[in-house]
Amino acid sequence: MGRIVGIDLGTTNSLVAYVDAQTAQPKCIPGPLGRTLCPSVVSLDADGSIIVGEPAQRRLLTQPERSIYSVKRLMGRGPADVQAELKLFPFRVDPSSQNIIRVQLGEKIFAPPEISSFILRELKNWAEAYFGETVDRAVITVPAYFNDAQRQATKDAGKLAGLEVLRLVNEPTAAALAYGLHEKQRGTVAVYDLGGGTFDISVLKLISTNEGDIFQVLSTNGDTHLGGDDIDHLLQAFVHEQILQKDQIDFSPHGELAQELRKELIVVKHKLSETDKVLLRFALPNGRVFEHEFTRGSFEALIRPVVDRTMAPVRQALEDAQLSPKQIDEVVLVGGTTRTPVIRRTVEEYFGRKPHTELNPDEVVALGAAVQANILDRGVENMLLLDVTPLSLGIETYGGAVAKIIPRNSTIPASAQELYTTGVDNQTGIEVHVLQGERELAKDCRSLARFTLRIPPAPAGMPRVEVKFLIDANGILQVAARDVRTEQEHSIEVQPSYGLNDADIERMLEESIEYAEQDFAERQLIEARTDSESILAATAKAMANRRAAELSEPERMKIEQGVAVLKEAVVGSDYKLIRRRVDELNHATEHLAEILMNTAVQTALEGKKLAEV
Amino acid sequence: MSTPLPIAPLVCWSCHERTIGTHFCSSCGKIQQVPEHSDYFAMFDLPRKLWVDMGMLEQKFLQLSWKLHPDNFTNATPEERAISLRRSSELNDAHRTLRDPVARVEYLLAIEGARVEGKNKQQAPPELLEEVFELNESLDELREAKASGGDTAALKQSLGTAEKNFQGKLAEVDSELQGVAKEWDKAMDAKADAAARKGVMAQLNELLNRRSYVRNLVVNVQKELA
Repeated sequence: MGRIVGIDLGTTNSLVAYVDAQTAQPKCIPGPLGRTLCPSVVSLDADGSIIVGEPAQRRLLTQPERSIYSVKRLMGRGPADVQAELKLFPFRVDPSSQNIIRVQLGEKIFAPPEISSFILRELKNWAEAYFGETVDRAVITVPAYFNDAQRQATKDAGKLAGLEVLRLVNEPTAAALAYGLHEKQRGTVAVYDLGGGTFDISVLKLISTNEGDIFQVLSTNGDTHLGGDDIDHLLQAFVHEQILQKDQIDFSPHGELAQELRKELIVVKHKLSETDKVLLRFALPNGRVFEHEFTRGSFEALIRPVVDRTMAPVRQALEDAQLSPKQIDEVVLVGGTTRTPVIRRTVEEYFGRKPHTELNPDEVVALGAAVQANILDRGVENMLLLDVTPLSLGIETYGGAVAKIIPRNSTIPASAQELYTTGVDNQTGIEVHVLQGERELAKDCRSLARFTLRIPPAPAGMPRVEVKFLIDANGILQVAARDVRTEQEHSIEVQPSYGLNDADIERMLEESIEYAEQDFAERQLIEARTDSESILAATAKAMANRRAAELSEPERMKIEQGVAVLKEAVVGSDYKLIRRRVDELNHATEHLAEILMNTAVQTALEGKKLAEV
Repeated sequence: MSTPLPIAPLVCWSCHERTIGTHFCSSCGKIQQVPEHSDYFAMFDLPRKLWVDMGMLEQKFLQLSWKLHPDNFTNATPEERAISLRRSSELNDAHRTLRDPVARVEYLLAIEGARVEGKNKQQAPPELLEEVFELNESLDELREAKASGGDTAALKQSLGTAEKNFQGKLAEVDSELQGVAKEWDKAMDAKADAAARKGVMAQLNELLNRRSYVRNLVVNVQKELA
């Protein structure tokens, strides 16, 4: 088994972290450029290869039609869900998209989990290069308010990246784990997590018991489409309007110009967290330069709607936890967007205490994911995480109403049983529609899945089928059915309403090989075999040299033995063993190399002399 | 979930030795399936009584969570993982049910086979008939006024008063429910006969039906007022 890592698969940036065995502290792993943040940007090169991270980010400007950012917003969503986003994001959605969205990069079409898998694979490569070992398992974080389909899509992305996803952990909970380890906090904690595209609020209780520390989530709420992106859009809309009025230039969101302006505005936004005024100067195609001075005051007024939208979930989460703001002992800020002063102020005013910001808000979620990965790898030793399901699970009943069977904020895993029977004689199927959400009518909730219970013909009311709905520790639904009288398990083919089915995943896995670099171990093996081939060839050649006779008998024996065991190792696939044998043979042939070296030098000198003469 | 789970209350599914452990085999230490005929009360070593010491419940919940949570079984066999998932979900279901006083009564009646839902959930209890009639009329009027764009302020105010009235009734039902719950606990302590227990359960059942009726009314009014 390879190494295990924690991954924060973010809207804007993604990170990978692990727990250092010596210090027992989590640590983010840097990429080849030395930075721990990997921009969540993917680009398809003209030669068909996939580019991820900073190089892809640069291509947003040069090749926007082959590049994509903020794909997390599309995970587990249907085309109807994202109409509003499409006006704001340069996503090129394939018009034939049905249940799940497919986007176009250049000439190819991808599902959002495939694009996310490219980011995950990049991070996997970072970690493998860092460890010099295979990484095959991961804990991946998701927004706490992600629904079943969004979680499933994330899990699918992990699978497509060649990772066994041991657990999906909610981002605010992960942050609490990292802080808990860091500060040894106790009591009630509110985690306010405003990232690039998602907002979460979680209320936790940190409990010390004889066995260790328990992180119990009491309630969670949020908005999976609210974040720094929305602030950028407000800024963009404002500037687009200004430019339209003054210069009659219309920005198409797909244009390179719009991307350039977006990049500039993000710089303005970041600067406004540090200074009070920033002047934006932007060259327009008509040769004029657009100028606007943003003050912190005007910026804060502009983004007020985003700040306000976070507060309703905050109030609901506290109400669900049956706590008042005063009863919260600690407040933690997570996510890059919480660097914005107006957000810090608003949160501080609401809770009446200064929020914690000691840990880097960009890294804290990945660090927490690494902590959870370590717990899963080693077994619960001194920390246990009890999380909740963010949304109520329901089933459609007569008349399109929803009967809630697992209420929101139930500790997971959680389950509920429903008994089904037939209404008419010889009815052979019962339709079951599973939903997630708080609304009363099925049409207002999120459809998770539909399936038909197959019933052997019998008089009405006779069959008794118990369906068990179970939300696992990842927050993902599992369904099983059992005939109560015969005790027989029914198999159910659950068709996800918004997600990839098994056939999709199979096909994508096959295709992913096309993009994937070779597996780390395979790559290592090939390199080790190449190395051994060259040393075996060199040794054979050297031993054939007449001056090899200068070797002592033990030396000769040692070399011959080294050659034999290396040849043996090369047949196998243990690259570490091959490497060791290569090293041993290198060592054994040191003297031989010296002898030949001297010969070579002498020959060279002699040759020179001869030539000179 | 598709992994078939052998159910064996006294013999470990894994080592086939007899076990005296409820959660883990006393012989090989493997996690055990919930014994048949177990229930939420038994899971917490509680008698089937309606007063529950919440501190004890929480403590026991956390203790069992340590042992049964799937986080402990990442590297275990698929069978153990499936059992852990099932056991910890049942633990969480039990905890969720028992910590809520109304859900607790519902559950007790269900396992005692005494939960009979109202034949017609829309049918008002006789003593509320008149007030419910008036309430429904006001609700209709409000809906009409909303649809035709008429003045709703006065209607909303009177509905607000009605809502408070029914909130009060809900509190009454809850306190009645508490009273009868105490009777149930007394009957259990006194080892009362089946007939006496049945009588108390019938009362509890009746109160639950009334409660759900009144609660629906309140929710409906709140929806219209929102």
